[in-house]
Amino acid sequence: MAGLTRTAGAFAVTPHKISVCVLLQIYAPSAQMSLPFPFSSVSQHNRLGLYLLSLTKACDGMYEMKLEELINQLREVGDDVDAWLTENLTNRFSYLSSPDDLLNFFTDMRGILGSLDSGAVQDDQIVLDPNSILGMFVRRCILAFNLLSFEGVCHLFSSIEAYCREAHSSFAQYDASNSNLESLTQYNQMDKTTKLHKNASGNVPFHLHTPEALFKVTEGLLVTRTEKSSTRKFAEATSVASASSSKVEDTRVDESLFLRTNLQIQGFLMEKADAIETHGSSFSSSSIERFLEQLQNLAPELHRVHFLRYLNKLHSDDYFAALDNLLRYFDYSAGTEGFDLVPPSTGCSMHGRYEIGLLCLGMMHFRFGHPNLALEVLTEAVRVSQQLSNDTCLAYTLAAMSNLLSEMGIASTTSVLGASYSSVTSTASSLSVQQRVYILLKESLRRADTLKLKRLVASNHLAMAKFELMNVQRPLLSFGPKASMRHKTCPISVCKEIRLGAHLISDFSSESSKMTIDGSLSSVWLKDLQKPWSQPVYSRESSYRNNSTFFKFFVHLVSIPGSVSQIIGASYLLRATSWELYGSAPMARMNTLVYATLFGDSSSSSDAELAYLKLIQHLALHKGYKDAFAALTIAEEKFLTVSKSKIMLLKLQLVHEHALHRSNFVKSTSGNLKLAQRMCNELGGLASTTMGVDMELKVEASLREARTLLAAKQYSQAANTAHSLFCTCHKFNLQIEKASVLLLLAEIHKKSGNAVMGLPYALASISFCQSFNLDLLKASATLTLAELWLGLGSNHSKRALGLLHGAFPMILGHGGLELRARAYIFEANCYLSDPSFSVSTDSDTVLDSLRQASDELQALEYHELSAEALYLMAMVYDKLGWLEEREEAAALFKKHITALENPQDVEPNIA
Amino acid sequence: MVSKESCRNEIRAAIRQLSDRCLYSAAKWAGEQLVGIEQDPSNFTPSNTRFQRGSSSIRRRFSTISTPQPSAGFSQPPATPLPQEEDEVIDGDLYLLAKSYFDCREYRRASHVLRDQMSNKSLFLRCYALYLAGEKRKEEEMIELEGPLGKSDAINRELVSLERELSALKRTGAIDSFGLYLYGVVLKEKGNETLARASLVESVNSYPWNWSAWSELQSLCTSIEILNSLNLNSHWMKEFFLGSAYQELRMHSESLAKYEYLQGIFSFSNYIQAQTAKAQYSLREFDQVEIMFEDLLRNDPYRVEDMDLYSNVLYAKEACAALSYLAHKVFLTDKYRPESCCIVGNYYSLKGQHEKAVMYFRRALKLNKKYLSAWTLMGHEYVEMKNTSAAVDAYRRAVDVNPCDYRAWYGLGQAYEMMGMPFYALHYFRKSIFFLPNDSRLWIAMAKCYQSEQLHMLEEAIKCYKRAVNCGDTEGIALNQLAKLHQKLGRNEEAAFYFEKDLERMDAEGLEGPNMFEALVFLATHLKTNKKFDEAEVYCTRLLDYSGPEKEKAKSLLRGIRMAQTDFPSMDMEHFPL
Repeated sequence: MAGLTRTAGAFAVTPHKISVCVLLQIYAPSAQMSLPFPFSSVSQHNRLGLYLLSLTKACDGMYEMKLEELINQLREVGDDVDAWLTENLTNRFSYLSSPDDLLNFFTDMRGILGSLDSGAVQDDQIVLDPNSILGMFVRRCILAFNLLSFEGVCHLFSSIEAYCREAHSSFAQYDASNSNLESLTQYNQMDKTTKLHKNASGNVPFHLHTPEALFKVTEGLLVTRTEKSSTRKFAEATSVASASSSKVEDTRVDESLFLRTNLQIQGFLMEKADAIETHGSSFSSSSIERFLEQLQNLAPELHRVHFLRYLNKLHSDDYFAALDNLLRYFDYSAGTEGFDLVPPSTGCSMHGRYEIGLLCLGMMHFRFGHPNLALEVLTEAVRVSQQLSNDTCLAYTLAAMSNLLSEMGIASTTSVLGASYSSVTSTASSLSVQQRVYILLKESLRRADTLKLKRLVASNHLAMAKFELMNVQRPLLSFGPKASMRHKTCPISVCKEIRLGAHLISDFSSESSKMTIDGSLSSVWLKDLQKPWSQPVYSRESSYRNNSTFFKFFVHLVSIPGSVSQIIGASYLLRATSWELYGSAPMARMNTLVYATLFGDSSSSSDAELAYLKLIQHLALHKGYKDAFAALTIAEEKFLTVSKSKIMLLKLQLVHEHALHRSNFVKSTSGNLKLAQRMCNELGGLASTTMGVDMELKVEASLREARTLLAAKQYSQAANTAHSLFCTCHKFNLQIEKASVLLLLAEIHKKSGNAVMGLPYALASISFCQSFNLDLLKASATLTLAELWLGLGSNHSKRALGLLHGAFPMILGHGGLELRARAYIFEANCYLSDPSFSVSTDSDTVLDSLRQASDELQALEYHELSAEALYLMAMVYDKLGWLEEREEAAALFKKHITALENPQDVEPNIA
Repeated sequence: MVSKESCRNEIRAAIRQLSDRCLYSAAKWAGEQLVGIEQDPSNFTPSNTRFQRGSSSIRRRFSTISTPQPSAGFSQPPATPLPQEEDEVIDGDLYLLAKSYFDCREYRRASHVLRDQMSNKSLFLRCYALYLAGEKRKEEEMIELEGPLGKSDAINRELVSLERELSALKRTGAIDSFGLYLYGVVLKEKGNETLARASLVESVNSYPWNWSAWSELQSLCTSIEILNSLNLNSHWMKEFFLGSAYQELRMHSESLAKYEYLQGIFSFSNYIQAQTAKAQYSLREFDQVEIMFEDLLRNDPYRVEDMDLYSNVLYAKEACAALSYLAHKVFLTDKYRPESCCIVGNYYSLKGQHEKAVMYFRRALKLNKKYLSAWTLMGHEYVEMKNTSAAVDAYRRAVDVNPCDYRAWYGLGQAYEMMGMPFYALHYFRKSIFFLPNDSRLWIAMAKCYQSEQLHMLEEAIKCYKRAVNCGDTEGIALNQLAKLHQKLGRNEEAAFYFEKDLERMDAEGLEGPNMFEALVFLATHLKTNKKFDEAEVYCTRLLDYSGPEKEKAKSLLRGIRMAQTDFPSMDMEHFPL
């Protein structure tokens, strides 16, 4: 009954804790000697201590270990004293024959603690510092035991019986010949025989007993984290199942399932939350649901379960369940649960921290594509956090808000940010959306800086970089003639922001909760126990396993929190994106590769997907479709399960491009065009119907539609589509997209033979490109401009050539296959149409370009352009009188033309 | 229609069979119904009838609607004849011993005595005793094991073996309807609802007089679809079942119809009366409910069941004395019933002593953790005490006990609104309205949320108020607010329309007050500006009846009207100079 009683540090005595106490007694006996009896070296002794420490901190599961598992691990720890350890442990349990023995046991436990003032400790005496972690553990055990009622002691006693019996029975299962073992001492005998067996068979350790451990050894360390957790889960499930089946036998419930300490559970839940966020919906949501259910049964007052359920539902796109669980979590916990981990912030009052609930709700709406709802909720979050002066939440809310405003297309004409806008931004009510985003970001950054929220600072810097990348900075309030105006984005500040964002890696530790790192380190340490310890890890393993062992181990030791590596990974992705926009293909590719290799596994799956997407797009542009489709199939396998997969989108894009290139421009009804049209429609269908949501996708779809229409030679319709697209872009302030739409308009006019109409569009596109530093797009626009000039008449060929040569370095250095081929062909065209140019004297200039062009087009299967190049080639050869070459070119030309006319086997790659 | 006599005979036999199997609450229920059948006056002495009902005059007043007399109603279906008692002689002695152990609540002993008995009856009693033993232990363990995180996995340890045994019996067909009932209960506890439902349906079809089976079945019917999908033989017991099931599914008028029909036979059943009162309570007919409960208490003065509902009615009517009387009475009857605690809590709440009220609600919850109304009422108390997070917690628990509890959803919304989170609160209001779409108060609460200065979504507020008016807003807030909102938005025509309506309402109810003045002033001014001077004058003269600033305002308005009327031609003169 929470709301009535809220006890945070749940700590109950369980059989497992008694085991640990027994071991602690062995570790630090109250007797006075420098090294207690069974241990032969100090390091051995320390190793046990380390093991016990890990046991109390590890957070890799929610249940406490069974005796059998504990004994198995002890074997790994104990080296040659393991027999003594296990025997002592089991003996101790067999002495507990009545509740009174328990009482005495805990009275004895008091003896191993040193006195609190720790003055009179002799040199060689081993005492447990009562304030150390282990000392605290013992004290908590004693306290919890003393608080137990007699019924409680009875329950504890009977669960100890079950704890021992289960270990006993499970060992009995292994050795059928010894199936009549009855007491624990006899069990010890068996233990010894197996030990002898082990010694006899040399290297084969005890993995016979634990198939899971064996699995880990054979599979080595290549097993990824998810797989590990899933096998663990499986093991848990089977153990539960076996427990329930044994329940049928003697109609007893399985008593040995005790939860770990609250701290460990919280750590475990945090790890799970990380995992859900990292792996998205590829993580099996039902398995998580199952263990959450168990957990809730065992600890109904542990409200974080609801939060995890919310996360899980969020990632499996179940809106109603997510909403329900989110609200339930905040209703129950008032946003203050986990307070035994995080010290209550100064702003935490008896009102609870519902503003965090608002923040989460806002982000949830954002994710589900309800921008207006999200905005309302976030506005309320700002207001409430101001009221309760929760600055941390305020900083996060502002960041979320700016993210929302920049991601969602908010039409500049609508006034969604209505009258109720908060005071932080009230000064800015007359400003455009961009300016508001800027102000919000600045505010959030400032607050995060003063509050030392490192991760928020980092992600704000990244958001700022994105903002700088996409928007021309204008002075906020002074629009007078005197205000100096830069009409360009500033790549330097983008770079600066990205670097500031990546600084995080050096000093994240101050903020991230120490507990989780400690906990996960401990669990890793325990996991490593499963590997053979007796041999040095590196020398032997690396002899027959690959180097990844070392790498893995190293990763464990560094143990960067997932969120940190995610942000740093994001900075690399952002770098790639910015280089893509600025038009440097190699730089973009390099940064994406860095991301994919270093952060691909640790970060969120949607980011990893984005990286793959970029790489495949790069392949398609620079290596042709064959390679791209091959890569796509690989990526599809990897990201099939991710929700809202962008891979589908990419596939549609690629097929569309491919179809456009292969389409027949003469017969507008050809199959390829139809296919292209279909792809377009499907692309548009992927976008949400809500206004302002999925703007990128919508723009992309209509851009492609216009291009398809253009390919079908329906010029006026294409122009119409492009026009309305331009209007949309303008309305939603999509500046960069505007540049490409303008370029498309110029292309349309060029193709329709109306070069004069095309010129202003091309020029406008170039000026947009200039102000946003879109160098590659600018080069491509320049090419179009040159083509338009040439279209005005051959007397302009000189000017066209001049323009082309200006853009050549950019095109050849960074452009894709198509662009380069177009440039080459156009160059040849220019020369050929120049009356002062004579083919016979200067044939190489033309032929070189044409050859280059046709080579590059080969990979693209762009028949129309190839045919054009070959046609020109044949003509030149004809002029030169090189008949043989002419025939060859003509034959190739014919091949391309027939391929164009008969679009056979259109879609090998389409499902 | 079933004849009263055959009903009586059926029930009499059933009571014997039920109590023979120690199904006491079912027997109790059946007994109540048996006495509820109107006796044939010729066969009985006057003292007998007097005992049955002393003052049914009031009841008659409320059951005037002639009960439908279906001619093709249910006749006694041949499928469910009264089962003959079997093999009483064979296991008689041991059975008698077991039954007396059972009656002394020594369940395990009872089941042990019957360990080797194979007859259906002893089999049932053995399993039932075992089940109850498990339940008892479970209750104890629930307290013993209650850890700091509220570990709640205390389970009835007999369930597994019981399920195994009963399912084996069912497979071989050697199970009677009581066994099926127990099997259904066990399955339900184990979470296998579909099978449980099937088993219970089978049980009630073969032996319809076991009310416990019906109520278990009813608790498994969480939606009308499930209810309709049940394949039930027709029997008059089915009508009882449907009545209570409809009530749980908030189909109050349907349930009322069922009970009215049943009253034709069981005209003196306390049970039916209480159920009718419950339904009426949900329909907010408080006066009627109060009379019914008074009547009920007069006939059955030591009744505790359903009395919390009565206390809610008294609370709503702010009848302190009656409430304290009731509290005193039930406390003397049985102090440790959740209902009693709840009544006392209500009393203290009415008295404004919220801490004490919380204490009693908590005690009620100690007695029954899933006692829905105590959670909700405790939430209300916390709201009164301005402890919003505790209130939210309490309400949320109520909602998790029963997600259809609109009061708790409403309370959640209210609590969040108090915390200055109106947008967050809206979700909860929406939830509560979903479950009770015809309650104007909920609509008004939602409208107020939209209207709050933080949200300021006036259009939405107007929509909500309109819904409230359509639901028959009794407090008259909605009309006034609608008028004001329209006025604020500059839609004077609409504003005038609603002010007029509001005025009509106030006139009809004979109310006066600032709202009245406001409406009059607005209407007068509005009509004046629209040059409808005569009508404006009417409103002004009404205003003149009252003293205060409004009177002055009216006077000046009247003056303006006169001026305008007289100036009217002169203005014409100006426009059209000669």
